[in-house]
Amino acid sequence: METSFALTGKGYVIVAADTTSARSIVKMKVDEDKIKTLSPHLLMAYSGEPGDTVQFAEYVERNIRLYQIRNIYPLRPSAAASWIRRSLAESLRSRKPYSVNLLLGGYDTATFDPHLYWIDYLGTISEVPFAAHGYGAYFALSLLDRYHDPSASLEEGLATLKRCIDEVSKRLVVSPGKYKVKIVDKDGVREVEL
Amino acid sequence: MSIMELNGGSVIAMVGKDCVAIAADMRLGNQALGISSKFERIFPVTDRIYLGLPGLATDVATLRERFRFRVNMYTIKEEREIQPETFAHLVSSTLYEHRFGPYFIEPVMAGISKTPSGAVKPFIAATDLIGCLNFAKDFVVAGTASTKLYGVAEGLWEPDLEPEDLFETISQTLLNATDRDAFSGWGCIVHIITKDKVVTRTLKGRMD
Amino acid sequence: MPDMVSIAQPIQQSFNPYTENGGTILAIAGADFSVIAGDTRQSEGYNIQTRYAPKVFRLTDKAVLAVNGFAADGNMFVKKVRQRLEWYRHAHAKDMPIRAIARLIQTMLYARRFFPYYVYNILGGIEEDGTGAVYSFDPVGSYEREACRAAGAAQSLVQPFLDNQIYFKNQTPAPGTSFPAHLPLQTVLSLVIDSFTSATERHIEVGDGLEIYVVVAKGSTSAQGLQNLRGVQELTATDDGERVFVVRRELKKD
Repeated sequence: METSFALTGKGYVIVAADTTSARSIVKMKVDEDKIKTLSPHLLMAYSGEPGDTVQFAEYVERNIRLYQIRNIYPLRPSAAASWIRRSLAESLRSRKPYSVNLLLGGYDTATFDPHLYWIDYLGTISEVPFAAHGYGAYFALSLLDRYHDPSASLEEGLATLKRCIDEVSKRLVVSPGKYKVKIVDKDGVREVEL
Repeated sequence: MSIMELNGGSVIAMVGKDCVAIAADMRLGNQALGISSKFERIFPVTDRIYLGLPGLATDVATLRERFRFRVNMYTIKEEREIQPETFAHLVSSTLYEHRFGPYFIEPVMAGISKTPSGAVKPFIAATDLIGCLNFAKDFVVAGTASTKLYGVAEGLWEPDLEPEDLFETISQTLLNATDRDAFSGWGCIVHIITKDKVVTRTLKGRMD
Repeated sequence: MPDMVSIAQPIQQSFNPYTENGGTILAIAGADFSVIAGDTRQSEGYNIQTRYAPKVFRLTDKAVLAVNGFAADGNMFVKKVRQRLEWYRHAHAKDMPIRAIARLIQTMLYARRFFPYYVYNILGGIEEDGTGAVYSFDPVGSYEREACRAAGAAQSLVQPFLDNQIYFKNQTPAPGTSFPAHLPLQTVLSLVIDSFTSATERHIEVGDGLEIYVVVAKGSTSAQGLQNLRGVQELTATDDGERVFVVRRELKKD
């Protein structure tokens, strides 16, 4: 089953999402990138109904890009989160709502601090120190309650993420195999291998 | 699975002597899973009016944006601050506009209004999810712990409480009610509104 | 005229052997007394069947049972418990101790595990060591000894209030002091009356009348303040030492 995690640390946000693309009981693909880079300092992990996910993520990606082209400056994380939430909330009461859950991690280049938003397909939003979607959330959140440190270094943050991934692999029956892990900090976005 | 109980959360407002109080828990959940313990569901509308929005969390955010917009429009057009009574009717009509496809929120509001003579009048009100107004003289409650809040508030509340005593009463009511509700809790916030200031406190309570 | 065969359909017959009759019960244990109370309204849906149907029953001089839920089951259950207590008296020439009654109630409830008595029981009284006791049960016999318990229609209104006022939950004692483990009878009676007036105010199924049973241990001074209480009546039957009183009060009837 689809699982994604994210956590903040000292000046960074780590976002991780599994790479499997499944249809029913069949794994169709094992190297799918489900984390989009929306702007130089903004990451979005998406999961949910196949089809809706990519469609909505690309819609968001293009609109965030459009804003940056028009205004020179990109949206700050909180503004981007509000816009994305509103898109989902409006979609919810439409004929065919998007069924997409998001984790939005960003680094605010104006205030020099990391932000993480938990957003679900209803348009529920919450700024959190750490977050997870999917069945993995049931394992990861309790681990993050215990081990998360908002002032942790990047190495410590990645070690905490590894705990979450290992626990899900160990205990979840329908656990995903591989994860893509991306980091956003003052230097922008980069991908790391665990 | 009830939509009103999907995210959990409760709000209560009480009247005191020349003061009002409004308080809420801070849990955001997805059914039994806790997502956040820092979820705000009470928002300032003016310096003297606070609005609590228990219910579906997406609608908490949507309605907050909507009321901010409509209150700003009112302030610009009327060139004056909105009064609590007027705001209550604004809330009611906004909700009733969506009579057959409602926002899943039961708003609770608290404020202080100034009478023409210059005296202050405490004001509280609540509505159901389609905007039926309830102007109570004592206290109003809403959310997943509403039955518990009714029981404790009915036992603890008394008329003409001073701000500090009102704070103790509303805090004890909320704390003890949310401790018996699985969908509410995870921290509490209390606002005490008097004629010249608002005191906001967060409460230390059980986190389970 | 339509063909009778073509419109004839199989009819599913069903009979629901249960109903819910509202009301609320409550019990609080003191150091050497126990208070067991219940309102007297009996209703079915929005219909009030009677304004006086007792839900609290004296079993012995040291045990009082409150039953709430489906009234027919409740009355039958009390009848069966009383029968078993009578047999015990004939066999052992004494009243059954309260902890034994509690275990008896468990086995009687669990005996009907697959067609339960649809009732919540609260048993209050005096333990053999002279302490006040409250035992609360679920419909199939899970039970526990506690200091206080509310059950029934207004349980969700009353229980958190009791947590606050009896267990002092969410309260901090003044520096150098501590909260009492047991409250005096006068305080307990006030809390019981407050609980029921509050529940009556906010719950449609609660009201009409209030019956508060007080069981006092042998040699306890708690009984003294009770004699000149308004609406009190003594129900003590034996000279074992424990005494049972009932206090009747009016509740709002709307």
